[in-house]
Amino acid sequence: MENLRQIHNRQKRALFFLLALLALGWGFSPWPTVFAGLILGVLFGLYNFWILTRRMERFDRALADGKKAPSLGSGLRFASGIAAAAIAVSLPETFDLIATVIGLMIPYLFLLAERIISQLKHPDPGGKER
Amino acid sequence: MGLLAAALAVGLGALGAGIGNGLIVSKTVEGIARQPEARGVLQTTMFIGVALVEALPIIAVVIAFIVMNR
Repeated sequence: MENLRQIHNRQKRALFFLLALLALGWGFSPWPTVFAGLILGVLFGLYNFWILTRRMERFDRALADGKKAPSLGSGLRFASGIAAAAIAVSLPETFDLIATVIGLMIPYLFLLAERIISQLKHPDPGGKER
Repeated sequence: MGLLAAALAVGLGALGAGIGNGLIVSKTVEGIARQPEARGVLQTTMFIGVALVEALPIIAVVIAFIVMNR
């Protein structure tokens, strides 16, 4: 199984590709607010993922050093979700609120799909022993 | 009524996430203590678990925020 950094990098690459597609949709489709909302949501979702990866690494380091484990930063992620919703609520003519909330969840769907595909491609060799 | 709905959404969402995250982290730490060589695999599994557990409370918080601003 890959380590945290590799998973995060693959997610980042896929999400930047998606962001490029969304930017095209924002520029050339008749629904710019929906695409702008999706872009906003994906950006904040990406930020959430980055925080999670960083906190996980810090947690792991603290565990290895035998120090007191730091928090996993749930509050920060909740706050970034609220920030995305607040931007969409305050600028309804630019960002679609529903699209922003959907965009916020896209990285999680990507992660789930990527892990399922990766598990199907490379099944865990230790799985048969259990 | 909107405030009550927002408080219930955030509270119940955070309660679920707290229990879920607590279980994930405690079992991971237990696993690492038992098998330190499996640290990488356990850490990755914990990452995915925590990310997926936290998706729902984030939605709950966002919905609560939207309800409060209606």
